[in-house]
Amino acid sequence: MAKLTIDDLHLSYGSNHILKGITATFAQGEIVALLGRSGSGKTTLLRSIAGLEEPSKGAITIGNSPVFDGAAGLNVPSEKRGLGLVFQSYALWPHKTVFENVAYGLRLRNVPSADVAQRVAAVLEGVGLGHLGDRYPHQMSGGQQQRVALARALVYNPPVILLDEPLSNLDAKLREEARIWIRSLIKRMNLTAVFVTHDQVEAMAIADRIVLLDGGRIVQAGTPEQLYTEPVSLFASEFMGTNNQIKSRVQDKRGGYALIDLSGFPLWGKDRGGKAVSEDVTGVIRLEQVSVVDGEGENCVKAELETSLYLGSQWEHVFRCGDLTLRTFGRALAPGSHWLHLPPEQLWVF
Amino acid sequence: MNRATRIAVIVAMAIAVLAPIGLVVYQSFLDGPFFQPKTAFSLSAYEFVLDDEDFYEALSNSVVIAFGMTAIAVPVGAILAFLMTRTDLPGRRWIEPVILVPMFVSSVVLAFGFVVSLGPAGFVSLWVKGWLGFVPWYLYSKWTLIVIAGLTHVPHVFLYTSSALRSLGSDVEEAARMTGAGPLRVALTVSLPMVTPNILYAAVLVFFLGFELFGLPLVLGDPEGILVLATYLYKLTNKLGTPSYQLMAVVVVAIICIALPLVALQRYLLRTANRYVSVKGKASAQRPVTIGFWRWPAVAVIVGWLAFTVVIPISGLVLRSFVSSWGEGVHLSEVLTLDHFRELTHFPNLVRGIVNTLLIASVGGALSVGVYTALNLAAHRWQSGWTRLMDYLVLLPRAMPGLVAGLAIFWVFLFTPFLSPMRQTMVAIWVAYTLVWLAYGMRLVSGALLQIGPELEEAGRVVGASAGRVSRDLTLPLIKVGLISSWLLIFITFMREYSTGVYLLSPGTEVIGSLLVSLWGSGAVDLVTALSTVNIAMIGCGLLLMSLFGKRSHG
Repeated sequence: MAKLTIDDLHLSYGSNHILKGITATFAQGEIVALLGRSGSGKTTLLRSIAGLEEPSKGAITIGNSPVFDGAAGLNVPSEKRGLGLVFQSYALWPHKTVFENVAYGLRLRNVPSADVAQRVAAVLEGVGLGHLGDRYPHQMSGGQQQRVALARALVYNPPVILLDEPLSNLDAKLREEARIWIRSLIKRMNLTAVFVTHDQVEAMAIADRIVLLDGGRIVQAGTPEQLYTEPVSLFASEFMGTNNQIKSRVQDKRGGYALIDLSGFPLWGKDRGGKAVSEDVTGVIRLEQVSVVDGEGENCVKAELETSLYLGSQWEHVFRCGDLTLRTFGRALAPGSHWLHLPPEQLWVF
Repeated sequence: MNRATRIAVIVAMAIAVLAPIGLVVYQSFLDGPFFQPKTAFSLSAYEFVLDDEDFYEALSNSVVIAFGMTAIAVPVGAILAFLMTRTDLPGRRWIEPVILVPMFVSSVVLAFGFVVSLGPAGFVSLWVKGWLGFVPWYLYSKWTLIVIAGLTHVPHVFLYTSSALRSLGSDVEEAARMTGAGPLRVALTVSLPMVTPNILYAAVLVFFLGFELFGLPLVLGDPEGILVLATYLYKLTNKLGTPSYQLMAVVVVAIICIALPLVALQRYLLRTANRYVSVKGKASAQRPVTIGFWRWPAVAVIVGWLAFTVVIPISGLVLRSFVSSWGEGVHLSEVLTLDHFRELTHFPNLVRGIVNTLLIASVGGALSVGVYTALNLAAHRWQSGWTRLMDYLVLLPRAMPGLVAGLAIFWVFLFTPFLSPMRQTMVAIWVAYTLVWLAYGMRLVSGALLQIGPELEEAGRVVGASAGRVSRDLTLPLIKVGLISSWLLIFITFMREYSTGVYLLSPGTEVIGSLLVSLWGSGAVDLVTALSTVNIAMIGCGLLLMSLFGKRSHG
């Protein structure tokens, strides 16, 4: 059942159109990442759901009750939507203790104070801060503050929890830990969560589903695997991973595949862009899909090893083929010429 | 606050700001006081004032004095700021708080101090005469007035320039050092150019203050009949024998017409200045510039300035309040007395004045901060035509010097039936003070509000608090410290205010400032110096309180 529905949402500041028609549904118990570059409208979309921005057109429905409807002139204020929001800066109130920060939402709902104490203690326990209720936010580390912010958003059991770049203020090591515990916490509580990020690795790690945004529009929505392995456009393929790019012209087309040219070597790739013969196209292949092979074959090119970078778990090799650079991962290689295989089903022609 | 409350607050403010100005403009087109039954519309008041030679002389004096004091205050203030913030000058720590003293002492009190110290029979004058046989200066000339006005307004320039210099990061200067510039070159080509907008803003501010000058010319210009616009207005009260309200209204309109563009210019400059500072480097630890041998002449200049603008007038004034008489051949040890202070207590109006001043500064100041906070909250995080309207409305009272605003409020209380019973109460004084310091107080409170990030309030909304609850539970507690320090500043400001109460002075509405102005006119030097000393002591307590509070809230 859809927990949150967004229908043709538009938003602009003056003549600056930020959201240009967003339609999406979020199911109960699902974690969805809104992924995009800065300026793609992802944060604005999140703030519109929270009621902190006013869209110009469209509709937002939480459960069965509409909270925004441009046509009907309905705009439920933030405090009546009952959602939870974790801010990028955490936005903990510096004049309240951790306990009071978390308890505030319950007090506003006129929960009896015995229940307040018990529920706050339970939720602080849930985020691993059971013993720190008396502290003030400035007495805590960044990672602890983030847990408090999450506890504050969870304590009143919101139907949907929203997170704005929740991990961006943590250092690299903490971020990897936080990815794991945030996902398991949300899953354990069976919450519907929407979070904003610009980091595709973070999005794939935490989310059940990713909505990729660009320029105020949805580019692609789907599971992390779908977005990584079946991007619908050049933008999506570039955003989700690291690629080799081959600029060329379509030379032939056959059975869903297109023939392109890499410095004289003919290559077959999946026709994803639907361009006609002799049109300009870009061939794209993920770094890890290029492999070094012993000898000549179908869809192979011969390239000079230019340099190799040691990454610890493996090597990254940089090859030169004509005026094009090709990168791949693998074991240590001897200098000189090598044959590289680019499998046709992994080479996407846009 | 919800939308309706916000609009109501802004409309109330618009009425409070526009009513006095509207009444003044209306009065200026009448041929007699507005409360007389047989007044008619006419331009006769304009004709009279624009024909009056004294008006043009006062106008030209105001312009000359404003230019002169700007030319003195800006370079001295800018150099002082550079020396204090950027160099290894000895004794910076204890000099710095003293620099701002002339800002906190009312200028009419400072003027009295100059008279009793440097006037023809002053302490310093007679001492110098004992050495040289004559006094090598004359206090009551226009040029002395310009020098005194210039030197007493150095703190304003210092304040704006030093805060800008302080927020300028060392990294921009270090970058210049790395490319090969010496310390002096860095100061001239990097540091000072980067704060030029702030210096320019301070210059326009000082020029504007010079235009509004009242206390100094009232005391120092009077013996030679040197009039400026404000003193011309003050003397005009009885020019025709009857209260010539229409003439005063015309002068007020003239003052507002000149002041308003200056206020608008300041506002514009402040915006550009802030934009400039926002592109500054990181404000990391600053390393002072070594100026070597030059620090000794620099210290001498600063100490000399302090001696002239702070030590001489204030010590002279305090000393004079403790001696029974002073003149040639009088020995200090024979004339020391506490009689003047005893005498003070025999005048019920003076005692009332001291009590009223304490009340208006403490209780009135707190109420005013409450008003400024309500106004700020009404515009807080709200982009609309209403808040833009409010931005402009705040500027209007700024264009009215205290004397003028006091007069306008007096008329409003006279004109409005339901207000007139309160004309002779402290309510009228409080309204006038709150209006005169509206722009200043609004800036103090908004400074505190700007410190809190919008997400702290948004978080409250999302968690389920209405706009009103957010103001009460989150915004106000967060700016509590800022509000208390705003109140302390307003406390001192109301304590030293003298010109606003002048036209509102009546039995029951005495405040020290307006009493001083009227006592000086009657020539009661003993009482004036005693009352001034009391005022200085009260301001001193206020400053002490402020520094204690500052230490506590920072530590």
